[in-house]
Amino acid sequence: MKVLATLVGKEFLLLRRDWHALALLFVMPAFFILLMSLAMRDVFATGRTSTNTFKYYLVNEDTTAFAVSIANALGTHEVFQPTTLNSAEARKRAILKGDVQFEVVIPLGFTRSLPDSVPLRISVVSGAGVAPPVNELFRASVREAVTSVYLRARVAALLPQLSAGGGDFLQMERVNALVKEETLYESAQLSRRPTSVQQNVPAWLVFAMFFVALPLSTTWLQERSQGSLTKLRSIGLSPTVLLAGKLLPYLCVNMVQVGIMLAIGVWVVPLFGGDALTLGHSPLGLIVMALATGTAAVSYGLLIANLVSTTEQATIATGATNLLLGALGGVMVPRSIMPEALQQVSSLSPMSWGLEGFLDILLREGSVQTIAPKALLLVGFALVSLTLAGFRLQRARTF
Amino acid sequence: MIDVKGLVHSYAGQATPALAGIDLHVRRGSLFGLLGPNGSGKTTLISILTGILRADAGLVIIDGRKLPQDARAVQKICSLVPQENAFYPTLTVGENLQFFANAQEIPSGVIVERVGDALQITGLESATGIRANRLSGGMKRRLSIAIGLLNHPQLLFLDEPTVGIDPQSRQFLLEAIKKINAAGTTVVYCSHYLEEVEYLCDEIAILDHGRVLRQGTLKSLSEESSRLALVVPVRSAGLQELFFHLTKTELRDTVQ
Repeated sequence: MKVLATLVGKEFLLLRRDWHALALLFVMPAFFILLMSLAMRDVFATGRTSTNTFKYYLVNEDTTAFAVSIANALGTHEVFQPTTLNSAEARKRAILKGDVQFEVVIPLGFTRSLPDSVPLRISVVSGAGVAPPVNELFRASVREAVTSVYLRARVAALLPQLSAGGGDFLQMERVNALVKEETLYESAQLSRRPTSVQQNVPAWLVFAMFFVALPLSTTWLQERSQGSLTKLRSIGLSPTVLLAGKLLPYLCVNMVQVGIMLAIGVWVVPLFGGDALTLGHSPLGLIVMALATGTAAVSYGLLIANLVSTTEQATIATGATNLLLGALGGVMVPRSIMPEALQQVSSLSPMSWGLEGFLDILLREGSVQTIAPKALLLVGFALVSLTLAGFRLQRARTF
Repeated sequence: MIDVKGLVHSYAGQATPALAGIDLHVRRGSLFGLLGPNGSGKTTLISILTGILRADAGLVIIDGRKLPQDARAVQKICSLVPQENAFYPTLTVGENLQFFANAQEIPSGVIVERVGDALQITGLESATGIRANRLSGGMKRRLSIAIGLLNHPQLLFLDEPTVGIDPQSRQFLLEAIKKINAAGTTVVYCSHYLEEVEYLCDEIAILDHGRVLRQGTLKSLSEESSRLALVVPVRSAGLQELFFHLTKTELRDTVQ
């Protein structure tokens, strides 16, 4: 025990003097959390006024009341803002340049052509750089505007007495109210809804925790090449003690990372206009997830350190596998939007277990029971990694 | 002090064994030279003698204790100074010594005395507060040796202790090693420098291809070398002639 405490103490001293590596471990994820939470804020911003709007040219060449109604209906959307420009060529240039995202043209004679078997059509043009979901949303809003105006006109033509009463006889607001929208959580706190900070903090936190493998593996290899590991082996320190001497201090680093990243989500992101992170209702679950993910991350670093021979190999191996596990595990792209087959593969990534566990607590109001299977998977992964690392260390041709 | 019989060790994936049946005897109190070209098996042999590696076959007895069964007890009485600078560059000399003393579970009551002894023998008394990465090459080697002396070893393994240091540091180290040996510590000295082995050691073994090719006193091996020098007229008579006669002169480039 005294020897382990000595190894841990030495490690803290070394970490304190290698502040570049420490800064990387804390600054990098903090930056990512801030950047991604703010950048993706509007992607998750359902049910509130978005600060991000898209512009479209509305060209109404038809002057009938019907066409004007369509134009007015389109203009009520809070995200899509109409603008005008006379020159068709200038509109095209602006859309190609990305200054304006869409163009809607109601052609001359549109209303008059409606009874025809092949009526004129409203043209909707999108810029090439518009994200597909935004594109779909805009087209749907145009269809909705046209449908409601068309329906109203047709019913009024069939039953003139309805329109004579004035007001919105179709009562479209009532129609919209027929659909009740909710998000399901494990607890009864239904007021919470997913925000970008709620998604991004756990994602980049897990990534940062696994990133500890990089300084850990390079430090281990430096000790091996410098002979200090050989010296420690020669005085009788077992692989178990040597691995534990690294595991514990780096696990502490991981816990500090968790504290800082959550604090950034709770207090710093709101300062920049983002939503505040809410921590769920299971502090114990959060601690269990942090410890399980940290143990897995550090053990993975120790395994890499004992599988490769040089610091260069360690840098490449940890960097590449971290990115791969992160991409697969849903850090960069949420698992929910991956294709089914990729989601299956994704479930093999330890980062995915860690991320889903954190999301269970932070987003889905889960408890210790909810995250237990993921925590056990992470601990299992850690045990396998440590066993393999110990085996390699035992057999290593140390000097 | 050391008795080795039929020691065999192979590394996974390598066609030839690193040790192919080593027999060796090191007398208590001797300053024993272990000579051999790159890849001869010296490092593997020391790894096994210090309990780091387990041999595939053979018998190793150190101070009456069998390896690997009594490895922990053997590791208490012996010490290894690896070829590399076995310390932490960002820690100071004092912090390194304190750390390795604690890691060896040296009683806290005697740590100050042990550290003081090690610093005095290696001439590093004035460098305790200096970070190890700021030391000169010679001072780094002396720090490695100081760390090796902390447990007052009965058996000290020195692996190439004078590689890459200036002549003054080298001479200081050789004299220090003589003093350590004179104080009763058995020293196993691995080196490529034949003249160092001739200068320091009373007994010598020449290893190659995982076997002991010759073992004897400096006097007996020097006599054999002199006889060879008459037949093979290369340079002056000395251990060198015997070494090259046994191990040949082709390059031994090794790839890890």
